Amino acid sequence: MKNDKIYEDLILVLSRSKKIFILILVLTAFLLLNFWKIQVLDHKKYWEQSEANRMREIVLSSQRGLIKDRWETILADNKASFKVSIIRENCEDYDKSCRKISRLLKIEEDVLKERIKKYESFPLFKPIVVKENLSFEEVAVIEARKLEFPELILQAEPKRFYPFGSLAAHALGYIQELSGDEIKNGLYQQRRLGDLIGKTGVEKVYEATLVGNDGEALEIVDSVGRSKGEIKRRDPQKGQNLMLTLDYALQEKAEELLEGREGAVVMMDPRTGEILALASFPTFDPNKFIDRFTPEEWLDLVNSPEFPLENRAVRGQYAPGSIFKLVVDLGALELGIIDEETTFKCKGEVEIYNEPFACWVEKGHGEMNLIQGIRNSCNIFHYQVGKTMGIEEISRYARMLGFGARTGIDLPGEKIGLVPDPEWSREVRNERWQPGETISVSIGQGPLLVTPLQVAIYTSIIATRGRKVTPHLLNSQSQTGNKVFEESNKVEIQPSTFETIIQGMWEVVNRGGTGWAANVQGFDICGKTGSTQLISTEKDEEKKEIEEEEEEEETRTHSWFTGFASKDDPKVVVTVIVEYGGMGGATAAPLARQLFNLYRRKYD
Amino acid sequence: MIDRNLLRNTDWILIGILLLNSILGVAFIYSSSHYLPGGYYVKQIFWIILSLIALFLFLAIDYDTLVTYSFYLYIIFVGVLGGLLFFGTPIAGAKSWIKLPFFSFQPSEVIKIMIILLLAHLFAKFRRDYLSWSKGFLGVAVIAVPGFFVALQPDLGTAFSYIFILLAAFILAGLNRKTIIGILIFGLILGIFGWNFALKDYQKKRLTALISPSQDPLGSGYHILQSKIAIGSGGFLGKGFGKGTQSQLRFLPARHTDFVFSVIGEEFGFLGVVLIMLSYSFLLWRLFQTIGHSRDRAGVYIIFMVAIMIAFQFLINLMMIIGLFPIAGIPLPLFSYGGSSLLTTYLGVALVLNVKMRRFANV
Repeated sequence: MKNDKIYEDLILVLSRSKKIFILILVLTAFLLLNFWKIQVLDHKKYWEQSEANRMREIVLSSQRGLIKDRWETILADNKASFKVSIIRENCEDYDKSCRKISRLLKIEEDVLKERIKKYESFPLFKPIVVKENLSFEEVAVIEARKLEFPELILQAEPKRFYPFGSLAAHALGYIQELSGDEIKNGLYQQRRLGDLIGKTGVEKVYEATLVGNDGEALEIVDSVGRSKGEIKRRDPQKGQNLMLTLDYALQEKAEELLEGREGAVVMMDPRTGEILALASFPTFDPNKFIDRFTPEEWLDLVNSPEFPLENRAVRGQYAPGSIFKLVVDLGALELGIIDEETTFKCKGEVEIYNEPFACWVEKGHGEMNLIQGIRNSCNIFHYQVGKTMGIEEISRYARMLGFGARTGIDLPGEKIGLVPDPEWSREVRNERWQPGETISVSIGQGPLLVTPLQVAIYTSIIATRGRKVTPHLLNSQSQTGNKVFEESNKVEIQPSTFETIIQGMWEVVNRGGTGWAANVQGFDICGKTGSTQLISTEKDEEKKEIEEEEEEEETRTHSWFTGFASKDDPKVVVTVIVEYGGMGGATAAPLARQLFNLYRRKYD
Repeated sequence: MIDRNLLRNTDWILIGILLLNSILGVAFIYSSSHYLPGGYYVKQIFWIILSLIALFLFLAIDYDTLVTYSFYLYIIFVGVLGGLLFFGTPIAGAKSWIKLPFFSFQPSEVIKIMIILLLAHLFAKFRRDYLSWSKGFLGVAVIAVPGFFVALQPDLGTAFSYIFILLAAFILAGLNRKTIIGILIFGLILGIFGWNFALKDYQKKRLTALISPSQDPLGSGYHILQSKIAIGSGGFLGKGFGKGTQSQLRFLPARHTDFVFSVIGEEFGFLGVVLIMLSYSFLLWRLFQTIGHSRDRAGVYIIFMVAIMIAFQFLINLMMIIGLFPIAGIPLPLFSYGGSSLLTTYLGVALVLNVKMRRFANV
């Protein structure tokens, strides 16, 4: 009986399942009708849509902000440039396309493929730049054969252009294609592979201000790449312009003077920290880097033994030589170790700690007081003062006057130099500080290292009788509009101490001192020369001591001059270093004179 | 356990259709994704082999044993689903996958088999002409628990597909007019509640895009529009294998998964669509035809639920790609790329074969 029951029930159940199966068949048939409608009845409509259905996204490059000098001279401009890109998805046969394009654009086929390969990760519909800076002929040829090359697309883009070539190249920096690593680091999240970014200088520091927002257009294109109109468009936004504190004329003059040498010039307004000129030589033409595809030229520059890419003004580290003597004088005077009447007798050589130390004048200067010691840059005088003062005090005053620390200029990669003391000696060199080294440091030798910009800041502190400014290139209203010195920027040295030193510096230039060659009649220039016997890059720190003995001194001498004008109304600081330039008074001082002269004609 | 009788009673034709359809699937996965990294078609072949092995292993166990222990199997999988919510790492925004060294695995698919077994267990002794309240609520509870977890992943499409399995059980148990009205009202309330509280914005957009896909051609309507363009542009004969511009130029989204049938429509036209539908209908017919060949009630339920599970995924997927149903992420069984879905379908068919080959066996 039980089995019968199951049997009956199953009939009911089976009939239900049959109904459902029929329902499913009906639904399937209904679906089939729908497909019939779409595929057969409406086929033409959808076919056309599918043909038109090729969208293309085009990046509309934004224009980078201009960079101008303080008088609105444009130092970094943009100009229109054409580039041609390949859209891989429009290639019928990629290899054949490459062959044809290489002939059309006159690029080696493997070079072309290499370029495309760099952007392999791009989706197929994205254009990849294969050649830029097209000539008008090239644009015309591509335009004329558009139908033959549906995979090529011509685009205009604003391109960076430095109208004065290498002028202020180190301060401005240059722009280059974003590297893969920089994208991976997430430093430039808004940017894409193929974008150009500021790599150094102002271009890098103010990248965010200069760069605009790229726009984009979403185009529908037909099967041969002809645009059928835009769906969406976001216009590019131009980047903001920058005004710098640089003065075109002074910058040009500084570079002209350095031409053919290796060295740096810093001109600065000591009252505000505005950089008027920042030159480093040898230099380079930043226009050369903007192209996406010039690896050889770039490598030539990077590997050049003269390091043209290095900004010597902020990255060159040199022994300061005699210009450092003022640090010792300021400290000693302030500490009361000496006064204006203290004298030492210079016989051309002196024995300290059983070692002979020479002055630069063999016969000696005779009896010297402080002002005379500065004017003649007497070594013996400063050996004695430094010996009494001690290395701790010397380095304390050196730091107070801006050495051994970043100046804070708005440029990347500034070096800090080196202010040695016994602690440094123990920790870094792992040896005891030798008393004889203190004697060397007293005249700016020994392990001391400074950058030209630090020297300019040091000079400006003296010029302003103790005010310390942050040097800057950006000429923004907030920073320049008669900036009031804050109390914290005041150096703890009495103004009267500065007056004495300034008197000495004035005599250096105006009373037949070592810097007489910098004299400009009636401008009351105060300055100090320096001649150092070593190059002091970090790497050959050890080598140099050996070299020093081997080579003749003159050929190894860097020539320094730093000064300001005028004595009672300091408006400009000029710091010059010429590598292997010989005596400071002979090379650097006359250069400084020309810069002072030009400044005076223009501003005074 | 497997004797000669069982082997003789194995429905080799059913296995044949199953294989035929999945191999056709590989061809379309190849056509729509061979230029992508990931080797999807190779992986799919690997999954077919794996699923086939699983199918034969499953045949070795009497379905009666499976039904008896169905509750424990079910509990294990519910536990896994719950665990995924806490420990799972989201892939494409959903915590649906267990990541293994060479492939990922979606328990929310395979639990369908456990649901089928448990529901079969529940209704095996049910003797009335119409569904009772108590069985009804029990049935709802069986799919509600995993359904809830899966909806939280969030994967509404898969959760939604459980409803059809339950509905299948209810249909067999018998639905009178009152119950149907009750289910409709319940569905309506759930829908209103869901729209206002549970659905996310993108899900709502998909529903509105269904009504007017051209309103936002690049947004939610994009999928439907592109899919329809692909199918429609295929015409009667299609553009040819590997020549669909819609799919090859990547206008079509999810070409190798949910929208694989659009590729068939584009490349093989209406003719291809009819042939594939026939082949599929043949599979379904074979499943439904098996329903009578069962030794007991549990077997009938199992076969019916498996058939409905496959049939409704098929119907909903096809409706989805031509814009008759919201894009719910329901793949086309055997054709869409995806190992878990493939394995589930194979295991479902294994259950059917299992029932059929043991129809003469003594209990």
